[in-house]
Parts: sequence; structure tokens; C-alpha cells
Amino acid sequence: MGHIIEVSNFTKKYGDFAAVNDISFTVEEGTIFGFLGPNGAGKSTTINTLCTILDKTEGRLTINGYDVAREKAKVRDEIGIVFQESTLDGKLTVEENIKLHCDFYLVPKNEVRDRINFVLELVDLQKWQRAPVESLSGGMKRRVEIARGLAHSPRVLFLDEPTAGLDPQTRATIWNYIKKLQEQSGLTVFLTTHNMEEAEICQKVAIIDHGRLVAFDAPFNLKQEYTSSAMRIRTTRRAALRDYLGRHDISSHNEDGMFIVDSIPLDAMLEIIASFRESITDLEINKGTLNEVFLAVTGREVRD
Amino acid sequence: MRSITAIIIRNLKNFYRDKLRFFSNILMGVLFLFIFSFVMKSAAIGMANPINYLISGIIIMSVFQTALNNCMNIIEDIASGFMREILVAPISRWQISIGQILSASAIALLQGIIMVIIGLFMGLQIDALHFIEMIGVMILVGIAFSSIGLYLATVAKNSTTFQVLVFIFVMPLTFLSGAYIPTTAMPHFLLPLVYINPLTYTTSLFRYISLKMEGLSAAQLIEAGVAFDIQGVVIMPSFGLAMIAVVGVLFLALCVSRFNKADFSAVRVFEHHH
Repeated sequence: MGHIIEVSNFTKKYGDFAAVNDISFTVEEGTIFGFLGPNGAGKSTTINTLCTILDKTEGRLTINGYDVAREKAKVRDEIGIVFQESTLDGKLTVEENIKLHCDFYLVPKNEVRDRINFVLELVDLQKWQRAPVESLSGGMKRRVEIARGLAHSPRVLFLDEPTAGLDPQTRATIWNYIKKLQEQSGLTVFLTTHNMEEAEICQKVAIIDHGRLVAFDAPFNLKQEYTSSAMRIRTTRRAALRDYLGRHDISSHNEDGMFIVDSIPLDAMLEIIASFRESITDLEINKGTLNEVFLAVTGREVRD
Repeated sequence: MRSITAIIIRNLKNFYRDKLRFFSNILMGVLFLFIFSFVMKSAAIGMANPINYLISGIIIMSVFQTALNNCMNIIEDIASGFMREILVAPISRWQISIGQILSASAIALLQGIIMVIIGLFMGLQIDALHFIEMIGVMILVGIAFSSIGLYLATVAKNSTTFQVLVFIFVMPLTFLSGAYIPTTAMPHFLLPLVYINPLTYTTSLFRYISLKMEGLSAAQLIEAGVAFDIQGVVIMPSFGLAMIAVVGVLFLALCVSRFNKADFSAVRVFEHHH
């Protein structure tokens, strides 16, 4: 599949201050892409420029081949945007909000009804279509925003912190919808999030810090590169394993007869498993997390 | 065209659903009609029909004020975030401003028609032709002052500043227009201000139509306060039409071009932390 979003050598300056400094990345069509970074790192500037709201200082940004600086109207047709803060009209009903959106995006009039039904079904809100938006809960409003963002059949959906301010259960529901969407419709999802656990659903992530791109890869690869795994192992040959770990300079501690190794490279882990295969009675492997990747590449926690 | 219509329908729906504002608008109009026409009756002594004279002035003033005030919508839309939905849509800025102006004008016209109907019960007498002419003037006034209102709204960017601006703008203009206090009853030193006030001519044109003064001579019109003798130059009510048209076109252009360039970064689009 091709690259639906291409960003090359993008720089955005406010006076002398470079909010974004020469970053390049691409997003493959039909994937979920996570754009991660601490506050003030340049996330918002980048996403705003991609959404044609801000003008770049230098570089080239395209969505589906359209230049975001020169072909704004075309780009806007290709994208749906769900902002962090609500941009719904509280006095209008769910249906009216989406209908209005269809009018703005010139969805053919005879298709509007079908689109409304389709997107409301995606987020399970058919029953609420006649409810005034101001009467809905925070999570439902977010779902309406997602539905509305999809009403004009965009190729890319931008989600800025889609679960910020929602309770854990609602968060999970929202992520289910996002995943379902991407799987069913081949939609490209470009999201920013603070929550590194949530970023695990992305096929690829970019981490930006101080306006520079510090990592860009699949979460799995990043974890491989920047973190090590932890391993807990129980064996009937405890003395032999203690010897083995000592010989290979692998630090470990013992808890209830369980060896706990906090940090171990993959090949060393595989070797232990191969050597003690028959005697292993219990085994647990914990991969590093994106949070640790984030800490490793930016030197700080995502929330600071 | 479809986007403009959509914006207009949406604004009208919002206006209608905001019952408090809807009724307070009508109530204000009724209060103005009653209070001013009875209190100020004495000021209009010597007029052939003082109540009608004041009613017609008050009607056009409320059209003017409604048009201005309804532009506050856009500030509310900015504050509520809804404006961002419009700004990122593939709609041109000029379409957004025209939609806002037309919806504020429509609401102002509605207010004016309600006032005319109330006026009818209070003794205002008009026929169909005059009613149509009055509607024409109300539409013009609505568009002209919605443009001014939207212009002020883009300058103000928050509702408090907007209300202060409107107040500063509205108070002297309305009181020096002859709508509430007939210009013929005003002290002479105020007259230069009356003459440079565009609303003066709007009011006189509206009165000229609603009071059916077509048959009167220039001298009679001057005496009735709908034509003005400014140092020998006689300004007839028809000048009012030209005046609104000019002010309207000027501010429409000004407002659309300002809106085109307006920086809505106050419209906080995604979080910015610098």
C-alpha cells in the first residue's frame, strides 16, 4: 500500500523558535498511526499543519498526494478531524450535527440519510440520533464527533487525544470503535495520545520531542530496540540455573523458588529456554512497554 | 450556496431553540414599544400622530439592534468550539461570513415583523404595499448592521468586549437618530451629531414609508423630522436609502475581507503550549 501521508523536512517557526524542526515521516494507507510526544513537543503544530489550519515555514506535507499548503480544499475533503475539545453544536441533535457536516462537505443530498445511518451505526448511536447533543455524556459526545468526522467518507481520520477526559471503560469502548473502523473500512487513522498503553494498537508510531523526531517505527520494533524484556522462570534444576545465570553475568533474584530476571536480551532468553527446556515448570516473559521506549528516547515520562 | 443555506438554517434553529433569548427579545421589543411610545409621547407633541411616529422609530431601532446583537453568535461559536468545525470544512471564509450576516438579518427581520404586528394593535396603520416597503427597508438595515456587528465581533473576539463595543456604538447612535426622541425636539447643539449619524436617515426613511408621507411637501417633511434642512441643503428621506445601501455595501465588504484574514487562533485549535 502507498503512503497516504508524506511529511518531508517539515519545519514550523514562531519567530526564531522552531516548534517543529525538520521532521520527516510517512503514514501507510489503512493503518493506525500514533503521533506521540510530551506537551509542547510539536505534536499539535504538526497535526494542525496537516489539517491545513496552520501554515508551514518549510518542507512539504501531502495527504493523498495533495499539498496541504496549496490544495487546502482538496485536503479538507480527504480528512476527518476529531478535536480534543468538543466542536459539536450542543443545541442541535446528533442527526442535525452530522447532517450539517454533510452539507459543509457537499455529500450528495440523496446519500446524506444513508451516511448518517452508516456512521451512527459504527458508533452504536442510532437510538440517540434525535437527542440534543448537550444531553449526552462525554463518551457519547466523543462518539458523535467520530461519527461526524467520518460522515463525508474521508480517507484519513485525525484523532487528537481521542480518549482524553474519559473514564477507563469509555476509553476502551472508543478504542474498540477505532480499531473496528480501521479493520472494516481500510481507513487511515492518525492519532495523538498521551497514553502509551493505548498507543500499542498503532501499527506505527512517531515520537517527537523538542520539535524533533526521535523515533519512528512499529511499537514492537521500538520495544525491541529500546527496552529489554523481563523474565520469570521456575525450574526443577534450580542450582544449575543459578550457576548458568552467574556464568553469563545475568543478574537475577529469587522469590519463592522463582528466578526473576529484570532485564535480559532476547537471544540470552532463548538460550536459557533451550538449555532448561525439560526442567521448566513455569515461565513468564514481559516485553518492555512503549512507556519505557518513550523514557529511553526522550529521557522523561510522557506526563511531566 | 448549500453551505451558506446550512449555516443560516443552523443559526435560525439555534435562535429558535434558545427560548430564553427568543422571548426576551420579543419582550424587550414590546417593552420598548409601550414605554417609549407612552413616555415620549409628549416629546412628539405637534406631530400629527405621535404614537405612530414613535412606534415606527422603535421598530427600525429594534431591527438594527437585533442585527447587531445576533452577531454575538459567532463569538459564542468560537468559545464553544463549533467554529472550528466550520473553519476546517471545505467552505470558503466568505461563505461563512455571508451565512452569518444573512442569518442575523433574518432574525432581525423577524423581530421587526413581530414589532410591526404589535404596533398594529397599538394604532399603527399600514397597507400591504407599505408593509412590503417596510420589509425591504428592514432587510437592508438588517444586512447593513449585521455586517457591522460581524465586523465588531471579529475585532472583539470575546463576548464582553463585543457587548461593550455594541453599547458604545449603539447608545449614541440610537438616541441621536430621532427614533426615541424626535430630532425636532432636540437641543440645537446636538443637531450636527444627528446629521452625521447614518441611523438618522434610516429612521427617517422608515418613518416616511410607515407613516405614508409620500404626499407631503419638503417643508412639511422637514417639520415632521423626516427630511432635514442642513444650512439650506435639504436632505430628503430617499437619501436614507442611499445611505443604508452605501454603509451596507461598505461594511459587508469590510467585514468579509476582515473575516477572510481573521486569525482565529483565539479559536484554540488543538492545544498549543509554547
